[in-house]
Amino acid sequence: MAIGNDKEFKAALAGLAVAKQRQVASRFAQRVFDLSNDVRVKAALEVAGRPEISDAELTVVSAAANTARVESFTQCGKETDWTAQAGLFVAKAAVACVGSPAPGSNLAWDAAMQARMARTCQTVATGEGTENREAEEQYRILDAFLNQ
Amino acid sequence: MSATMEKGVRVLKEVMDAPIASYLNSCVHCGLCAEACLFYTETGDPKYTPIHKIEPLRRLYSQEYTLLGRLMKMVGLSKPLTDAELGEWQELVYNSCTLCGRCSVVCPVGNDIVYMVRKLREGMSASGNAPVGIKGAANRTVTIGSPMGVKLPAVKAQMKHVEEDYGIPIPMDQEGAEYMVMLSSMEIINFPEYLGAIAKIMQQAGKTWTLCSTAFEATNAGMQIGNSDLARLIVSRIVDGAERLKVKTVISPECGHAYTALRWEGANLIGRPFTFQVKHIIEVLGEFQKSGLLKTEGFETDRLTFHDPCQLARRGGVIQQQRDLMNQVSKNFVEMPDAGFINWCCGGGGGASAIEEGEELRLEAFKKKKSQLEAVKPDRLVTACANCRIVLEEGLEHYQMDIPVVGLTEMIAEHIPEKGA
Repeated sequence: MAIGNDKEFKAALAGLAVAKQRQVASRFAQRVFDLSNDVRVKAALEVAGRPEISDAELTVVSAAANTARVESFTQCGKETDWTAQAGLFVAKAAVACVGSPAPGSNLAWDAAMQARMARTCQTVATGEGTENREAEEQYRILDAFLNQ
Repeated sequence: MSATMEKGVRVLKEVMDAPIASYLNSCVHCGLCAEACLFYTETGDPKYTPIHKIEPLRRLYSQEYTLLGRLMKMVGLSKPLTDAELGEWQELVYNSCTLCGRCSVVCPVGNDIVYMVRKLREGMSASGNAPVGIKGAANRTVTIGSPMGVKLPAVKAQMKHVEEDYGIPIPMDQEGAEYMVMLSSMEIINFPEYLGAIAKIMQQAGKTWTLCSTAFEATNAGMQIGNSDLARLIVSRIVDGAERLKVKTVISPECGHAYTALRWEGANLIGRPFTFQVKHIIEVLGEFQKSGLLKTEGFETDRLTFHDPCQLARRGGVIQQQRDLMNQVSKNFVEMPDAGFINWCCGGGGGASAIEEGEELRLEAFKKKKSQLEAVKPDRLVTACANCRIVLEEGLEHYQMDIPVVGLTEMIAEHIPEKGA
């Protein structure tokens, strides 16, 4: 049965092992990667998408993605550029993809939420309101991932 | 003298009050304030001595309000302030002062040096000598209502996102709610999880709360640039919103200067008492904790330490609550040296983080925080100010210290059991 809401989406993600969470998280983040185009983020997403990843690889790409995240923050008092701000959330999604899962959290869910926030920033930047279909696209991606 | 410089000098004369006269006459030139300022301790440059930063104010005071100073000015032994001098002082009054107040609390004769820096900023701002970054923030506050240009649709977008993420509705403009929650631009833009944490905590505590469509922004750029009229305008917007919604308490977010501006200066700025209380989110969480409304499960087991935001701890006196909250969810909470009341600033408060040309100095000053952290070697660093959080992250990244930074409100919320679990 196709995933149709966040409750089902969250439940399906909860059933995935960490390695699988990384793979599908990477796909969620790839969908918004064009809002970042940071090579460190790209490297993290490529590694996260692979079925076999060594701890050493994860450490390297995680540190680089985190640097990209820190560099993307809008500092207090600076004018917000929502297009650039989308890049922060793509970087946050990448950090989630390659990070260590905290107890009680699901890194694929975290990456999905950051990816949605990135898309929201894009819609704020273009003045198109806040409606977008990122959640539905993520349901479709997860469906396809589970059925492959 | 240019028109703006004339205005600046006029403003400086206007702000010269009895406390300033008293402070300037009391200074014993002991230099203790230098050792209390991280811009001095980390650079060793005497120009960063706090009392020296207010030299233009001292000179004007002397020339205008002392007999000897007037005579010296008359015979040309004391030259009038110039625009170029104030321009030179910009670095000392803004870039290298975060209004952290550490100099004021160590002064043996009780001089409130940060009070004088604030007053000098009024003249600097009026004479057009405030840094471009802070000027921009002040202008956006007037024209858009937010120093970072955040408009209501962006807040609504964040609300929608948080509702999806946490599955909890975010109320807006709910008249009669007990609490009105304010946000800083930083939380709207960089840390949407703060709003989710609030929603989770309020739901568990069974409290009514609301955001306000006409007063969601707590950051007070007027206070940072040194413009009381602007500071008053920002406070008035919040007061109007809170009174329209008839709330009992306004919650200041994890933003240091927003708290000081509203809690400690707000009523004086608008010239009347508030009809509601103002509390920092950490004070509210502390009250919930004491009355048993904050039920958490589990503990953080890694080594945690807490960075006290200056405006919350030193200027606001909120010190124990954050420690009680940390201990509720952590088994391994350690204190940095000089924690609490006398904590060292992150280096980016008071508008300093908005000054691009001050970045190199900020990172130099961060060595103080670095040494505090090296003394306890934490796995993670917790704080309660969105600006501190970013300045800390940048400093840690610069010095390649792998210490994640988290917000206290969010950490507490993560320990609240899921509803129905």
